[in-house]
Amino acid sequence: MNAISRRQFIKRAAALTAASYVGMKLPFFLADAQGQDADTWTRGTCRLCGVGCRLELGLRNGKPVALRGVSDSRTNLGYLCMKGMLFHKIMEHPDRLTKPLYREKKSDDFREISWEEALDIAAQKFVDVKTEYGSDACAYYGSGQAQTEETYFFQKVMRAGLQTNNVEGNPRLCMASAVGGYLTSFGADEPIGGYSDIEQCYYFFIIGSNMAEAHPVIWRRVMRRKLDNPDTVKVVNADPRISATSRIADLHLQFDPGTDLALLNAMAHVIIEEDLVDHDFLRDYCVFKKGGDTIDFDQFAKDVAEYTPEKAAEICGGSMNPDDIRKTARWFANSKGTMSMWCMGINQRKRGVWANNLIHNLHLLTGQLCKPGADSFSLTGQPNACGGVREGGGLCHILPGHRPVAKDPLRKDVERLWGVPEGRIPPKPGYHTMAMFSAVNDRKIRAIWINCTSPAQSLPNLTPYRDGMAQDEVFVVVTDVFATKTTEVANLVLPTAFHFEKTGVYGCTERRSQITPKAKDAPGEAMPEVWMIREWARRMGEKLNDPVFAKVIEPFEGLEPDFDLPKAIWDEYTQKLTKGRDNDLRGATYDVLLQMPDGVQWPAPTEKFALTGGAVKKFVRGKDPLVEEHGEGDAPYVFYGPAHADKKLYVWFRPHALPGEVPDDEYPMYLSTGRIIDHWHTTSMTGRIPELLRANPYSFVEINPKDAERMGIKPNDMIEITTRRGKVTMPARVMEGPLEGTVFAYWHDMAESRMINKVVNDVFDPGSQEPEFKIGACRIRPVSGPRDLDPVVTQL
Amino acid sequence: MLTALIPLVALALASCAQGTGSGVATVEETVEVAAQASRVDVPADHPSLSEQEQLIACADCHRDTTPDVYDSWYASTHGIGNVKCYQCHGTYEDMKVAPAVSNCATCHADMITKQADAPACWTCHPAHTFDPHAE
Repeated sequence: MNAISRRQFIKRAAALTAASYVGMKLPFFLADAQGQDADTWTRGTCRLCGVGCRLELGLRNGKPVALRGVSDSRTNLGYLCMKGMLFHKIMEHPDRLTKPLYREKKSDDFREISWEEALDIAAQKFVDVKTEYGSDACAYYGSGQAQTEETYFFQKVMRAGLQTNNVEGNPRLCMASAVGGYLTSFGADEPIGGYSDIEQCYYFFIIGSNMAEAHPVIWRRVMRRKLDNPDTVKVVNADPRISATSRIADLHLQFDPGTDLALLNAMAHVIIEEDLVDHDFLRDYCVFKKGGDTIDFDQFAKDVAEYTPEKAAEICGGSMNPDDIRKTARWFANSKGTMSMWCMGINQRKRGVWANNLIHNLHLLTGQLCKPGADSFSLTGQPNACGGVREGGGLCHILPGHRPVAKDPLRKDVERLWGVPEGRIPPKPGYHTMAMFSAVNDRKIRAIWINCTSPAQSLPNLTPYRDGMAQDEVFVVVTDVFATKTTEVANLVLPTAFHFEKTGVYGCTERRSQITPKAKDAPGEAMPEVWMIREWARRMGEKLNDPVFAKVIEPFEGLEPDFDLPKAIWDEYTQKLTKGRDNDLRGATYDVLLQMPDGVQWPAPTEKFALTGGAVKKFVRGKDPLVEEHGEGDAPYVFYGPAHADKKLYVWFRPHALPGEVPDDEYPMYLSTGRIIDHWHTTSMTGRIPELLRANPYSFVEINPKDAERMGIKPNDMIEITTRRGKVTMPARVMEGPLEGTVFAYWHDMAESRMINKVVNDVFDPGSQEPEFKIGACRIRPVSGPRDLDPVVTQL
Repeated sequence: MLTALIPLVALALASCAQGTGSGVATVEETVEVAAQASRVDVPADHPSLSEQEQLIACADCHRDTTPDVYDSWYASTHGIGNVKCYQCHGTYEDMKVAPAVSNCATCHADMITKQADAPACWTCHPAHTFDPHAE
């Protein structure tokens, strides 16, 4: 420490220094975790974002000591981020939940109980609620981190056993708008291409994503592509905020939050005005839509002509040059392969589906689709939002295999495949996430099983929903590996096996399913969820004297829970439920998945094809085996997606629309929220890894230097953020990140005073029902200079 | 800081050369020798830190205290790719000035296996720039 004294050192970090250290456990695993110490390695998948990095868990004498990347994996090519290289440290953490816990009232202390008692209680409570209040008073709320076998089995019991479609999950909070966009534009959910396009791409259009932090290993591939080809590969980052992702950008387009609909329409206008259109692609594969009508190209051109670059730049807040809009549109159209990449900045919006549609429009107008290096590529937030929840039937309106609940033939198809009576699954979709927790507030839902997620921290406008969950009239079961803010409102807490302590499949962003086999026993009495579901369902059937429950679990009875049980569930799902569907996974058997370094991309109807890795591109003849089934003639592309019977791609006119809140006199600034590389979601896991916690121990708010100067805010000052929903206080970082007039706060913090979701708007997209986490109006004020702070990780 | 690193790197190289031999080594064999040689305690001139002070990211201070190292890292593929200090050097209690090759193996296992006879990674890929052709 030569250039700075210790005194200066401490002063610099004043906001982070504190005398007290209340309620914090920091168990250290000193001098461990080096690869050379492991005696066995088990190959699996990381669970701490949606990339799907393949890695190996190293055990020494049965204890987890290291993680390392799998070099021959086509997802990560061996690379890992800090989360992927360190999560082994939480597997034997002393905070792990190891025994079932119960309390009759939420004001009581938990007491340890046996599994027998726990399962009896869970079954009896759901039976009581179903009997007294009806099936729709029961609910399941799951996760994009649950394995596919778990999501599939839970929703089977809920729909065919308890007879409710109240099946939801946290992907509603992050990816529902992407689903809506893909279905309405392409007629089929999930991207057409995959990561392999990155190395063939010449123009990356990144919008609404700080992928450098949220998807770090995919970012590494984009970075390498750009650094290796600095003159021939272009990168545009379009975002209200300058972020780490901007570092390789040739051009950064900054706009006021929520105004990018105008930007995207202006790009479409430039493409048409300068005749950069791929007319053959449009003629052969596309139709134009506006509202409920089909329109022609001329009408579409006329509609988007309203969005001149000059007008769009003005709508966007005046921070971008109209000529830059023209430039980025030309790059988009003229490159040898264009990839758009986006995530929450596009999805967590009141008009998230429209924003997705407008990105897809650019690819359809220019034919930047299906060819190498070209794709409209939605980045997924969680490791199994695609595989488990979107494909496995984990949302209230969809059954497994991309079947809408409301479609009678498809629902009856599922009943037949499950061997349950026709009419057993109700035809009406259940509550979507925000409606589900509103129904909890209103006590319309009286029993809810929350698996592998923490809505008591992750919902927007959090306080009323948390109050709802805390009511004694609502029985709450939580299955998790650690205490969370949601176990605080639970009656029954069931300890689960971490992945690598059980066997299951994750399906990542690029339609790729990858298995993680069990490597070690779970600590204490923690058990795999699939075992809990079976035991719970059997008990409910006995208590209700309803033989259909027994039918639901019949294929899984008598199987040991670590491998045979999840394998039987996976077999039922893939062999029966995906047969004949666009996500045909019949070839991706456990046997195949265990052979592959990196899993299988669907569709993969046979094991022989799956062993090649599956379909690199959907809808492309010669690459997608389903094209021959669906396509007549020899067209190179057949868009057979289940939502568009005409096999066409739709170019949608979507007008600019305001977000749910815009700044006004009372709340004069935009508030946006997001993620940081070192942490995952609520920090219940990453907050227990010392290196990751220390890297970012608290939420903070980024403030533009001009705003800071105007308000007299200095770095590390404590800032009160007030919205119509409440107020929180956190330290300031003054930086050229957000635009002037916008503040950006992180949500990785369990401290009550800093939980930003308390003040985030819960207005949601009318199409996707995804809330607008990304945009709200706020006012801020400094309340003090740097202050002592405690990192917080919830304990029981 | 850079001057202090030199003997440590040399020590690691010497041990590595002795241990790997000829032929193809497994990652485990390769990293074991290097790791034994390269693990170093927290340097004596680093101030002791309280638990609260340990909650400050390394780079927050090293931006000023070791600007050359910081700037090299920031401009490198590790900097752009957000590979942070603690991923190679550990955290406060187990900090290593010269990382173990096993740290590199977390992401670069294939190269370490292919280059079994090579000296430690940073001989040719200098620490913090990682560019073998850089000055």
